[in-house]
Formats: sequence, structure tokens, C-alpha cells
Amino acid sequence: MNWRIGVDIGGTFTDVAVVNTSDNQINIVKTPTTPDDFSKCVVTAIETTLEKQCIDAKKVELFSHATTVVTNALLEENGASTALIATRGFRDLLELRRSARSHLYDLFQEPPAILIPRHRRFEINERISAEGTIVKPMSEEELGGIIKTIKDSGVESIAVCLLFSFINDKHEKKIGQILRSEFPLMPIFLSSEILPEVREFERTSTTAVCAYVGPILRSYLRRLEEEINKLGLPELHIMGSSGGVVDTSECLKMPAIAVESGPAAGVVAASYFGNLIDYPNLITFDMGGTTAKASLVKQGKFEITSEYEVGVTGNVNRWLHGTGHPIRVPVIDLTEVSAGGGSIAWIDPAGALKVGPKSSGAKPGPACYGKGGKEPTVTDCDLVLGYLNPNHLLGGELDIDIEAARNAIEEYLAYPLNQSIEEAAASVIAVVDHNMAEALRIVSVERGHDPRDFNLIAFGGAGPVHAASLATALNIPRVIIPPIPGGFSALGLVTTDLKRDYVRTFFNSLNDADPGEISQVFTEMENLGREMLKKAEIKQNQWEFRRSADLRYNRQAYELNIPVGESFMSKEDVGDLIQRFHEQHHNTYGHANIPEPVQIVNLRLSAIGRLGKIDVKPLNSSTQHARVAKCEKRTVWFDYSGKVDCNIFARSNFTQNLSIDGPAIIEATDTTVVVPPEWKIKVDPRGFLVMEVLGNV
Amino acid sequence: MFSPTRPQIFEKVDPATFEVVKNSLYSAAEEMRIVLAKTAYSPILKVAGDYSCGIFDIHGDMVAQGPDLPIHLGSMPLAVKAVINAWDSFIPGDILVHNDPYNGGSHLPDVNVVTPIFAKDTLIGFACIRAHWPDIGSATPGSYGAVTEIFGEGLRLPPVKLYVGGEKNRSVEDIIFSNVRTPHERKGDLDAQIAANNRAVSRLQELADKYGLDLLTLIMQGVMDYSENLMRKALLELPDGEGIFEDVCDGDGIISPGEEKDEPFKIRMHVIKKGDTLAVDFAGTDKQVPGPMNAPMAVTASGIYTAVKTMADPNALIPPNSGCWRTIIVKAEHGTVVHAVSPSPVVYANHEISHRVCDMLFGAMSEFAPDNVMACSQGTSAILTLGGVDYRSGEPYVSYETIKGGFGARPNKDGINTLSAGISNTMNTPVEILEMTFPVRVEHYELRTDSGGAGKYRGGLGASRAWRVLGNATHAAVCCERAISPPFGLHGGLPGAGTTISIEEPAGTYKELNTKGTFIAPSGSKILFEVPGAGGYGPPTERDPELIRSDLKNGYISLEAAKRDYGFDE
Repeated sequence: MNWRIGVDIGGTFTDVAVVNTSDNQINIVKTPTTPDDFSKCVVTAIETTLEKQCIDAKKVELFSHATTVVTNALLEENGASTALIATRGFRDLLELRRSARSHLYDLFQEPPAILIPRHRRFEINERISAEGTIVKPMSEEELGGIIKTIKDSGVESIAVCLLFSFINDKHEKKIGQILRSEFPLMPIFLSSEILPEVREFERTSTTAVCAYVGPILRSYLRRLEEEINKLGLPELHIMGSSGGVVDTSECLKMPAIAVESGPAAGVVAASYFGNLIDYPNLITFDMGGTTAKASLVKQGKFEITSEYEVGVTGNVNRWLHGTGHPIRVPVIDLTEVSAGGGSIAWIDPAGALKVGPKSSGAKPGPACYGKGGKEPTVTDCDLVLGYLNPNHLLGGELDIDIEAARNAIEEYLAYPLNQSIEEAAASVIAVVDHNMAEALRIVSVERGHDPRDFNLIAFGGAGPVHAASLATALNIPRVIIPPIPGGFSALGLVTTDLKRDYVRTFFNSLNDADPGEISQVFTEMENLGREMLKKAEIKQNQWEFRRSADLRYNRQAYELNIPVGESFMSKEDVGDLIQRFHEQHHNTYGHANIPEPVQIVNLRLSAIGRLGKIDVKPLNSSTQHARVAKCEKRTVWFDYSGKVDCNIFARSNFTQNLSIDGPAIIEATDTTVVVPPEWKIKVDPRGFLVMEVLGNV
Repeated sequence: MFSPTRPQIFEKVDPATFEVVKNSLYSAAEEMRIVLAKTAYSPILKVAGDYSCGIFDIHGDMVAQGPDLPIHLGSMPLAVKAVINAWDSFIPGDILVHNDPYNGGSHLPDVNVVTPIFAKDTLIGFACIRAHWPDIGSATPGSYGAVTEIFGEGLRLPPVKLYVGGEKNRSVEDIIFSNVRTPHERKGDLDAQIAANNRAVSRLQELADKYGLDLLTLIMQGVMDYSENLMRKALLELPDGEGIFEDVCDGDGIISPGEEKDEPFKIRMHVIKKGDTLAVDFAGTDKQVPGPMNAPMAVTASGIYTAVKTMADPNALIPPNSGCWRTIIVKAEHGTVVHAVSPSPVVYANHEISHRVCDMLFGAMSEFAPDNVMACSQGTSAILTLGGVDYRSGEPYVSYETIKGGFGARPNKDGINTLSAGISNTMNTPVEILEMTFPVRVEHYELRTDSGGAGKYRGGLGASRAWRVLGNATHAAVCCERAISPPFGLHGGLPGAGTTISIEEPAGTYKELNTKGTFIAPSGSKILFEVPGAGGYGPPTERDPELIRSDLKNGYISLEAAKRDYGFDE
């Protein structure tokens, strides 16, 4: 009997997913999160889990973790004391940024945080041209002076980013070599190792982020490793932003890949289980207390973007805000919107109804939690409309005060809007659902995908409450609710593969490119991947290498990522790639410019080590009819039909192939599923709920 | 006086539907922006972001602007109205293009593409994108020469149909592309503008299908009423009062016969803020000038609108559209630099005058609304255009860059270093992209020490950037205000450092250049831009010594300046 364990830290709870790989039994264990030291709650969570599930640590084959350390260090600005070495004349790149502001009319806006202050930014004489030739050799003497200054200054890590080092890394390499011998214990990050890619600000920013969070991540992972070694668990793996785990040494080489670790795990879980139950086209919808996140999985593969800013606070991430720190590492293409169960509803001075971005958070929480929250939240409205259990949530662990919710809605919304409490609550839900539908639209419609070809998979504590309404808004025909949606993201940690991404800038016209040269670059990256997989002791028949190219029309500034086949040798291969670029451009933007030459900007390779499939233990089959599972009735308000006397079911009573017509409410310990009147729901053999519009089935 | 109650729209539409449709309209405008940025060809659009996208009603009033340039707030509706006035009718598939500053445009490089939007057979509105093309003809690559008539500034297009019912009018396209340098690149930009408008067309059609024509039209009008209502309420919150502010512009780039140098001119502003209205009168402002520093009225108004929105709505609660400005009055005499008449040249004024009046309104209101204003920011778009033949490829090129100065100090905090301010929000061009695309080498790009105006709160620093010209000589044009009139401080704050532009020729000769106009930079020469820092707020003597020490440590100020400006003695 073998086990896989994954630990995902959330705002309120730390979830541990446990899979028994011999009988495919899946479990989630929840323990409270300890924000002062996350390693503490991770260790407690693991200890609790091992004990509760009677697991022998020696029998655990994969132990992986979604960390929030990197994102938090950037949001809270408590990273390491870092130095930067730059080409003479360019130490201020990090502060000059791209010079656009994110808040157009905010008189009192704050400047974006500066990760490395000016007095720790050093310059060195050297210059490489746009063609990669050395215009001015690097001054080792100057470097000696810089090293002397750094030595007495309490610097904990160093970032090096020189102009055009992505074409010629000679100077950076030399500096790296000298720094590493002078400071053998200090993390040194070279931009040519981190991100050999054009655009000096974005490359500097990525390198600086790595240096800024590197020491914190290192001490966190070391602490954790020590503890889990004591427990006898196997090597620690970290979920990377592109949806695969890496071991700690790979993670520390490139700390920026640990951003969005948790949300990435959710998408990994969705794509994995989508394939398993034969719904490989998914729009994922993860709604928690303060935010909702959407992403897209097509044919079982999630979409990746390399345009990402970390440390951004904003509403819908349709466009880079300019308030965060760009990191040009591959990140699962997620769109986040400030809409969650805790989002507060309010009325603006002209009388329009708004929801969020302010949230009641974990404390005090919604009014109905009775913990001091006074303003009405989305959860309060869900409750008043009958979607949530009027007495308790979380399987009885949380008592609910529905009168508090009604009072909050009445005072802040119903009275000023001159509506009934239920009407006001329904209005709030309409607005918040629309805001979330925007996030779904961004990852689908705006990227050229038709939502009608996809299924909505809903998870997070509040996802299944709102899923049917969002699906209706986008004409998505089917909604899937996984088992244990409240801890679903953690399941991504046990169903993942090992994955590391590599990139090389290869600035060239694709029409004139030598396919052999392109293959050569791919082979070089593949060799790095092979080393990584060998070191991780993954069997060779489980290796996979995915190649792709970032392409654009000659004079554009943004690329589209197009997959490249393993053999890329002939002119026909080039022609085929060009053709697929035109098609993708047309799908995404509505036009293609066939006569225009196509340019290659970057070549990318993902090295993947497959960790073996797991299944989900099937539910007991039974001929039991739906009525038997029913536990009570209550009044529920729906958008079109108004007030309805609605059946309430307990999910724990469900058996295979059970089928229920809406309207219905299904209650579970971690979430509530709302089935509107025109929908029907059935239980698949593995316990996934599949909800479809009546008449579609 | 208008009494701001709830907008009438809420008597006909429930608040949830209103919010949902309003958000959809703004999302559509934002989506236009993404399509444009990601598919355009010229750096000024794709990396610098010099464009605005909007959705308009059938009268040409702006219903929704994307999160784009404030400079286009007031003038975009005129671009659509010009199209409506020029043509009796439209059919689905029509696309119009124009750029005449005296008929709905701003300056010739800003090319407007307007697409009528039909739901089935009914006209429901317009999509419009104004995008700055890096070249629109004229004698100077980049179309930034200092000439004395608009006829010399490039191709001037009245509202013409580029597509009629979905069919391309090739003659119009041929005329455009035979008048601009690098026509191939311009075609990529034009295609991107059309594609972005198409996106708005499909989004509005979807909304019409879903909500019905009547409700959609009602909400499009309601969104403007809603913004008006919010703007009136926001103005009520600002103190009432009256103020006068005068400022001097460096010049117009033309040394007229009998003049020794480029002569400065004056702008005068009188503002009255009362209740929920604000009126600005430019009486006393100088007559229009020979060079291209003359602003059409809509350009001037945009600068005013930007300052008003910054003071009244710092939290961005008011959606930008035509409704916002119903309560703002801007008055200026015909034939002045802030209300130019044809055929005065205009190309510099578009941003330079707009920047100027925006900063001036803060100055004019600083006495009676000291907590709601900021000291003067960079006050210029600091433009450098280069054109010639790339020695590496033998191909012609045109490069257009804007360099950033400081963001002004506020009543309670410092300004911000090198950040777009006021009417502008364009980005810089990455050095690596620039050098791979054009034959120059950037020798430095850094913060300009001591450029932020001293004060209790210091102004933001400007940037310093130097280009080495490689291979062939280049035909350069510059446009940079605030050389002799550095950005002013408020309430005792000192001005920021002004603009300087100089050239160092290979022979070692060094000269300071006029900050507007054209010159030839020989191969091997170095062009140096020092862009203004912003003004300070409050007396320097009141600055927290900790902040002075931190500024010294980071080299934002020199020890010499600390002693001189702050009396610092440690």
C-alpha cells in the first residue's frame, strides 16, 4: 500500500490531500492555517493526517506542497536585503520600470514597490551590442570594488542583469563565477540563467524577484525539509506556477516559479480529473472567500502565459496593471477577480449596486458568521436566498445567524434601494455572478475559445453555489462538481507530474530560419531537462518533452505560443508552423496577415516526468432512488422562477448513477451545490456530480 | 442649481441589470485595447500604448472609454461627431478613417478609425480608436517638424470611407499609403485598429441580442447620466473658490525673422469652482503662434478634464464618458494658443498644451483646495523621433519615443520618479527592443539626480537618456516643453529641474539644442535628453530630516543640493 500526500495552504484552512495508490481512496484533511509561520501548520497538518489515516511515512511515494511564501513575501514586502549589479548607466531600470501608471486619475497613488533600493544597485563598465558583440569589456577591477562594498552591507542575495546577456552571457557568467567564489553561501541569480529572454526591465524584474524571495524560500523549505525528514517522509516537492512539481533544489534555482503555486494546483487537478472522467475541455472556476479564479483546459491541457505580474492588487486582471513585479516565467493562465463569499456589497453615491473589491476576509467574516461582520456579503445573500443551510455550515462546525444576514442586507441595501431583502440579495448575486462571468469570458471568449465547447468545473468553498448561474450566462452546457470541491486544489498536488520549463530567445525570421539550428536549441534545452529528470530518478519511459515557439508577425510586440513537433528538420515543418501561427492569430484576434513574414522570438521546452496515474475509488452502486437521499425542504429564490419550495439533499447519501431534477440544493461538509429549476444533476461512478440543462441530456 | 439626486435611469432599469450592462460596455472598450496592442506593428502602439478606444452612442457621445489615455477624454466624441456630420447614412460594414485636427481630430499623427455598429439593421452606436502613427508624412520622418502651417505637417484626411458595406475602398488606402513613410508598418497598424473595432461591434451586438435594443440604448444613455451624477456629487465635495494662474511656455520651435531665439508665450487661466460646477476661462492667453504649439479647443478641454477627474475622483468611481464633462465649462477665444483656428500647425500642442493646462488647473486651485491638488509634474511628453536608413539592413526606419519625467509632489507625500503623469500614460521603449529595431545604442537611461523639486514633499525625479547614432546620420526631431519654465512647486515647494537637450558630435563639439524642432545628428554623435523633474509641495524647511537622509543615501539628491535647498548640515 503506497500513498501520495499534498499540502495546500489556504487563507483559513490548510488542506492535505491523501491518495492511497493501491485502492485509489482519496481523502482531504483540514487543519487551521497559522499565518505567523506557515511551516508550523504544514507540519501539524501532516502529523494529523498521518495519524488520522494510519499512514506509514515510509510508504509515502510523493510528498508535494503548494506554498504561499513567495507571493506573501512580495505582497508584504518583507523579502531579503538584495543587491543588483547592472551595466553602467542602467542601474535604475528596476525603478524606471515601463513608466506607465496603473491608476490613471489617482492623485494619491503609491509608487510601485522597489525591491532593491538604489543604494544597493551597482553599475559595472561593460557593454554588449544588439548583435551580441562585446562593445566594452567587463571591468573585473570595478567588480572587486563592488564586492568590497557588498561585503560589509548585510546583503543576503545578489541579482545580476546586464544588457543583451540573453544573446551573449559571457560577462554575466564571469561575474557570477567571481561572486560565487567570493560569497559561497549567498544565493546569486544571473539573468542569463534565470531568463535568457529579450526586454531588460522584465528580465531584471524576474531576476530581482528571485533574489528577493530566494533566501526566505530557502529558509522556509529547509525548515520544512528538516521536519518532514524527521517524520520519515520522502523528498519535498513544490508546485510550480506552470502546473508541475519540482524538487527543492530546482525550485531554489528559480524561486519565481513558486508564485501561484496553490491556484496552479487547482487547475492541475481539474485537467487531471477532466481527462479521467472524459471531459477534457474545461473552464475551471475556483471561488473562495475573497477571490474567484478562472482558467481554461483544452483537450486535457491547461493554457500557459508568460505575461504575469506578481504582487498585484486589483479587480479583473485583463491587462497587466503595472503595480506588480513582472516575472516572465510560464504561469498557468489564470484570471482572478475580487469576488468571493466574503465580498462586501455596497451602494455607490449615485445609487448603483457594487460588490467588492473589499472583502470581510476570514475575520470578521460575513455578517451571518456572527463574528462582528456588519456589512452584507455574498455569503449573506446566498444564505438569505436559501442556497445555504440556515442553521450551520461546514458540516455543523460553523453556526449561522440568518437574522444577522437579513439585518445587514436590509440596512445597507434593501432600504436604500427600496427593495425587499430577497430582491436586494438577488441583485447582489446578479452583480457578483456577472463579475465572475467576466473572468470566465476573459479565459475563453477573449482568447478565441467558444464556451459552448467546454464544461465548467467548479470548486472552492463557494464555487458550486454559483456555478450553474455562470454556466447559464456563458452558455456553457455542463457543470462538473468534483468530490470534495472545498479541498480540490490539494488534489492537484497528488495527481501532478514533475515539470520544469526552459526558454531561449532565438530572434529570427521563421521564413528564413534553418530548421537544423532551431532543433539544435531545442536539443540543448532537452539535455538540461534530461539531467533534471535523471536526477529526480524518473524512469525514462515516463519522460516527455514539449516544444513550442513564441511567434509573431515581424513587427508586432506580443507573441503567440505555438507547439512544435519533436522532429523539426524540414522546410515543410517550417511551413506547417507558419500556417498554424496564422490560424491561431485569426482565432485569437479575428484577422491574419498571410503575406507577412513571421518572426520567432523564443523557443520553449517543458521537461515532464510522469508520476503514474491514479484513479478515484468508485462510489457504491445502488438502486436507491433520489427521494431516499432527500433530507428536507426549504424555500429558495431563483433568478427566473422566484420563490420555490426546494428539495434539499445530503451529498454523503449519494450513490452511483443517482439523478435529480432541479430545483435542488445539495449540501456537503465543504460546500453547497445549487441546482436551478431548469437543470438536472446526476452522479457519475466516481462521485463527480454532472449538472446539465434539462432537455440537453 | 442642479440638485444631484439618483439618476433617472434607476426608475426604469433595476440596479443589477444596469451594473451588469455598464460593466459589459467598459469590458468591450478594454478588449478593443488588448486586440490593438497585441496586433499593432509600430512600437509606439504595441509597446508605448499611445492610443484610446471608445464606444459611442448614435449621436457621437462617448459611452465608455477603455483604461486609455486621459488626453483623449474630451476630444474623442468630436472624432465620431465629425463622421456623423460628414455622411448622411451608414450601412453595416462601413469603416471610416480621418485625422483632421480642425474637424474632430487632435493632431495629424493621431489617426481615428470609426466603425458604425449595427444590431440587425439598426444603427446602435460607434466604435472608435484613435491611435498615434509614428509617421503621417511631411518633410520630417515622424511628422514632428516645426512648420508654420498644418499643410506642412503631413497627410490630412477628412472623414472618408475606407470600407463601404464590407468592401475595401482601395483608392483611399492607396492615397494613405503613398503619403507615409514605412507604409507596410502603417498597414499593420491600420489592420489592428480595424480588428479592435470589430471586437467592439460583436460585443455590442451580443448585448443587443441579450438585452434587447431598447434596454441597451436606455442603459447607454443612462451610463452617461450616471457619470454626470457622480461627477456633480464629487465636485460638491471639493471646496468652492476662485483662482487665477499664469504660466509661460518655452516657445513654438520657430525662430521668426528678427528673433534671436525661440520666443516664449503666455497662458492665463481663471477658474471658478462653485457647488457642482467648475468653469475655466482662458481670457488673457496669447494669440496663436507660428509654430505647431496651437491647440484645438478639444485638446485644451481634455487637459482640464484630466485635472478635474484627478481632483474629484482619485478612487476611480466615475466611469469616464461624455456625461462626466456636462458640468465643466471651458471658455477660450478663437485664435489663441488654446483655441487654434486653421491653418495653424498643431502637432506639438496636442500633448504639450494639454499637459500644460492640466498642471495649471492644479496651480489655479491650490489656494482654495490645497488638499486636492498636486505640484506640477513633468509637463511634457518629451518626444524624440529619429528617421533615416538602417546601416544594417539598408531599410528606412522611423523611431518615436517618449521619455518620462517626474510625477508631482502631493499635499501629504512625495511625488513619484519617472512616471507618466496627467494627460499621458504611454510606456517607454525597452532599450534592447530599440537597439534591435533601430540603429542606435542607448548609453545610459537613469534617474536624474537633483531633478525633483525640493519641498516638504519632494517632486518625482525625471529621467536622463542618451542615444549614440550608429552607421548613418539620422534626421531627428524633438518636442519637449519646460526648459525655461521648469515644473512649478506649490505652497513653498521649489520647481523641478527643467528640460535640456544637447548633442555631442564625433569631433567632440557639444551644443545645447532648442528643445523643439529638427536637426541632423551625424553618425557617431550622442543625443542627450534630460527630462524635467516635478515640483515640490510645501516649504523644504519642513521636510522630515529622515527623508532627506534617505534621499541622500539613494542619490536622489546630492549633498550640495541638500545643503542648498534644505539647509541640511550633517
